[in-house]
Amino acid sequence: MDFKTISFVILAIILAPLAGGLLAGIDRRLTAWFQGRFGPPILQPFYDVIKLLGKEPQVVNYWQIFCVHIYLIASILCVALFAMQADLLMIFFVMTIGAVFMVVGALAVPSPYSQLGAQRELIQMLTYEPLLIIVFVGIYFVTDSFKIADILAYDRPIFLALPLLYLVLTFALTIKLRKSPFDISASHHAHQELVRGVLTEYSGPYLAILEIAHWYDIVLILAICSLFWSTSWIGLVILLAVTYMAEIIIDNVTPRMTWKWMLTYVWAVGISLSFFNMALLYAKSF
Amino acid sequence: MLAPQLIGISIALPFIAAVLCLINVKPLRSALVIGTGVVVSVASLALVQSGAISFTPESFLGINPDGLIAILDFALLFVILGIAYRMKNKLIAVLTLLQIVPLAFLELFMNPGENMGPAIYVDQFSMIMCMVISIVGSLICVYGLAYMKEHEHHLKLATSRQGRFFFFMVLFLGAMNGLVFSNNLLWLYFFWEVTTFCSFMLIKHDDTEIAVKNATRALWMNMLGGVAFVLALVIFRSQGLPLSLQEIITAEPASKLILLPVGLLCFAGFTKAAQLPFQSWLCGAMVAPTPISALLHSSTMVKAGVYLVIRLAPAFAGTVFSNYVALFGAVTFLGAAVLALSQSNGKKILAYSTISNLGMIVACAGINTPAAMAAAVLLIVFHAISKALMFLCVGTIEQHIGSRDIEDMRGLINVMPRTTMVAVIGIVTMFLPPFGALLSKWMAVEASAHLPLVVLMLAVGSALTMVFWGRWLGLLMTSVVPDKAPLAESQPCLIRLPLLALAVAAVLISFVAPGLYSSMVLPVLERFYDTDLYIAARGVISNNIGMFALYPVFVVMTLGVIYAVRASSSKRLIKRGNYVTPYVCGLQDPGDSRKLGFKGPLGVWADFKTTNWYMESLIGESRITGWINLVAIGILIILLAGVF
Amino acid sequence: MGFFQDLLHTSRVKSPWLIHFDCGSCNGCDIEVLACLTPVYDVERFGILNIGNPKHADILVVSGTVNPRNAKALKNIYDQMPDPKAVIAIGACGTSGGVFREAYNVLGGVDKVIPVDVYVPGCPSKPEAIIDGVVLALEKLKKRRPEKDTEPLVADLKKAREFYENREDRQVTR
Repeated sequence: MDFKTISFVILAIILAPLAGGLLAGIDRRLTAWFQGRFGPPILQPFYDVIKLLGKEPQVVNYWQIFCVHIYLIASILCVALFAMQADLLMIFFVMTIGAVFMVVGALAVPSPYSQLGAQRELIQMLTYEPLLIIVFVGIYFVTDSFKIADILAYDRPIFLALPLLYLVLTFALTIKLRKSPFDISASHHAHQELVRGVLTEYSGPYLAILEIAHWYDIVLILAICSLFWSTSWIGLVILLAVTYMAEIIIDNVTPRMTWKWMLTYVWAVGISLSFFNMALLYAKSF
Repeated sequence: MLAPQLIGISIALPFIAAVLCLINVKPLRSALVIGTGVVVSVASLALVQSGAISFTPESFLGINPDGLIAILDFALLFVILGIAYRMKNKLIAVLTLLQIVPLAFLELFMNPGENMGPAIYVDQFSMIMCMVISIVGSLICVYGLAYMKEHEHHLKLATSRQGRFFFFMVLFLGAMNGLVFSNNLLWLYFFWEVTTFCSFMLIKHDDTEIAVKNATRALWMNMLGGVAFVLALVIFRSQGLPLSLQEIITAEPASKLILLPVGLLCFAGFTKAAQLPFQSWLCGAMVAPTPISALLHSSTMVKAGVYLVIRLAPAFAGTVFSNYVALFGAVTFLGAAVLALSQSNGKKILAYSTISNLGMIVACAGINTPAAMAAAVLLIVFHAISKALMFLCVGTIEQHIGSRDIEDMRGLINVMPRTTMVAVIGIVTMFLPPFGALLSKWMAVEASAHLPLVVLMLAVGSALTMVFWGRWLGLLMTSVVPDKAPLAESQPCLIRLPLLALAVAAVLISFVAPGLYSSMVLPVLERFYDTDLYIAARGVISNNIGMFALYPVFVVMTLGVIYAVRASSSKRLIKRGNYVTPYVCGLQDPGDSRKLGFKGPLGVWADFKTTNWYMESLIGESRITGWINLVAIGILIILLAGVF
Repeated sequence: MGFFQDLLHTSRVKSPWLIHFDCGSCNGCDIEVLACLTPVYDVERFGILNIGNPKHADILVVSGTVNPRNAKALKNIYDQMPDPKAVIAIGACGTSGGVFREAYNVLGGVDKVIPVDVYVPGCPSKPEAIIDGVVLALEKLKKRRPEKDTEPLVADLKKAREFYENREDRQVTR
């Protein structure tokens, strides 16, 4: 590893949560704007997290603490690996460490709410994981590699070859962002939520750690989205901005649905979209 | 010591020790089992020093080994015939006769020894298998010593049946070693049938009605494979090919008909590896005492099936048949994972997960690229270690809490902290990076990327795998922190040693996976493939399409775990903060934060109970097994049609 | 240290998460609390969120009179909130028991059970008053240190408990 990679990794680790928090702030502001409200300051997510960090630690079970730390470390590691331009599929598998331990922490508490939330979170993971793998395989079809370094070296925007797979990726993004209609395990919005689903029993600093880890996750998924237009900065920014805007609008106009609907709908639509896209690729290559 | 002697010890010593085990005396039995385990383990490790070798033993105790094996073959088949007669089971009788007659024809009229070449062929793949069998197998046998004592105590038997039990367990080790060293297909067939027979006798060890029923099913399904095996041998001879595994693999695919016997051998492998639609025998086998499930039905015997398929893979590389094998394996991987999701019986989850992993190995053999083959071989090793560990944990837990249902394992960390921690290691090494099982899965997915249907099934299956393991992992810890640190349960030394050894091995061998790959797997692959091989350098495994930064992930996650353990250590927390009750809408008992439940109407204390949801109404075993079998049979028929 | 301390204090003031507990209010005050969230008042401007879970909340907003039955639940909810935390009693009933003060089954205001930081009068309290109350509570919350500054529970708590335990004797017989 040369100096450039190392500095890049350090930069990514420092900047990712800042970007994630800022994005969450903009998100809340825009949501408020859509609802005819003024909305919180852009820096609101940072205030929330700092406040939570200063609260008294209170847990049911020490496994919760163990699990949130593993989640955070796995998420940071994912972002670092992305910055090192490692293998996409490997990054994905490392990401599952964090996701699994988040669920394990919720399952470790004998509380009906968090148990229910954990089961729902597992279903969510079940929903998006195959889709992400399919997206990576699609990228491999175009660029002949799973390595991010090789994908970045591809000279045309991947989006042009895989527009439908990009849609599939946004399904995963929606689930990962906890946005309607797929916010079944825990929602950002109080009116959609009885208690707080999978996050019910995490409190104080541990909730803050979860939030930071979540920011890392979101930055990672957006970074994967950005691979689809990696050839020019303008294209990349437009693609990400449009994607995120669409996410916010969908979040505001859809209600939360049931897990069964989510699983069947996302798999059916996602898998058929992928196959159409693959067929398109095959047709082109002939 | 010389390699042939080591190989001889690995095969013959268990056979001799097994016979001695029949003398039903406890100290002698313990000494025999432990002694044999140590000797064959050391022999398997010593064998690694030598490179690939092949030879034909001239004589065994002064007898011509070919003749000896032929005689034993028929003896075994007639014993099975006798059993079939006693059980009045026509199906098994017919299947046995279907083997006896062609085998007799083969031996008498087709000159099976022609151009044989070496009868024993040992390369690094065989050595890996031998290490798995000898070391993991021996640990399980040692565990069995303590387990069976408790088991028989529980059954309140008048006379101990452990003599018979260890006869078959130890015999099985020898047979498996023979199986992986054999190059002569007749020898391989003999050891194959011995493992089938051991499996049958061990499943029905408890002699309950259900055990006998399931053992019978296991026997006839495996005999089906045996028939296919003998047919394949006859066809090989009828085409003038020698009955030598290496000759067949390297034979020029001049005659297209070579695919037919190879396909039949693969079919035999599928039955042995309990691939769909033959999964029911493996699930039924879970009635047997846990050491049997661990040894035969997860870590070694079922691996014989996939071993054969992997061995044969170069023979069908690049054919349509190969793609069908990949599809078939992927269907098994997915189907078994769905079935595992609907289970709450711990041993059944393990059984279905085993089938699922074997499916992935078969799929890798079908994908037939160097990356896939590497994945297959590595998965055999890592799956054997972690799954054996999980079975032993479930066995220990079952003897302690009297249940193998995972719902009863809720909060087990406070009841059996030691065993639970080992089980946690077992689960985590099964499905999370940076451990070996996931490394192989990663290899498999990347290797299958050019087959969209296969990769789709692998993707969905791996997500399902994560759900059922994650759920199990979580509920082991579902608890409130007790007042005092829970008292560690007492573990007999013979139980603790195998558990700890396997847990350490599961982590350590994952760590040395790159070294294992370059020293043991790469030489085998280089014989058949020259491009796209994985290179393991400085802890990073990479080829032209992907790379797995194993050591960075390992190091960071290890440091992370250490940090997380420190952060969550209970001493620090009690000093800094406090434990509270779970949220129950403000109706908890304010006096006792450890008391679960809530104050219900009329001031009555109500307990709540949470359970996982197993989706029985959607994917219950009885509901979907039929459909899955139908799909699997369909693909199997297409697959066998693909040989023409 | 000073910088981080200040940052923490600012963040506390800027991010109060409320949990709303209805102790048997007539729903007049409850509706006014919810009205604060509507676009007209939009308390999210100040970072205020309505949270359904005491383990995440900083400020407990209570409306309605306290009676022996819900006193326990109120106390339990309060106990499950991690420090630092503040309590706001809303409306005439929440502050003092209101017109129900003399009823046989009423203990009185919220302060009979848990320490109250801010009293917001009114029947019902206006949303502006509630927002004002939250701002007042934030001033108190700002410099509170976990564990150290929690005021000892009022003596009334003990009284309430006694009442609860002896309620058989005080029940009106028909």
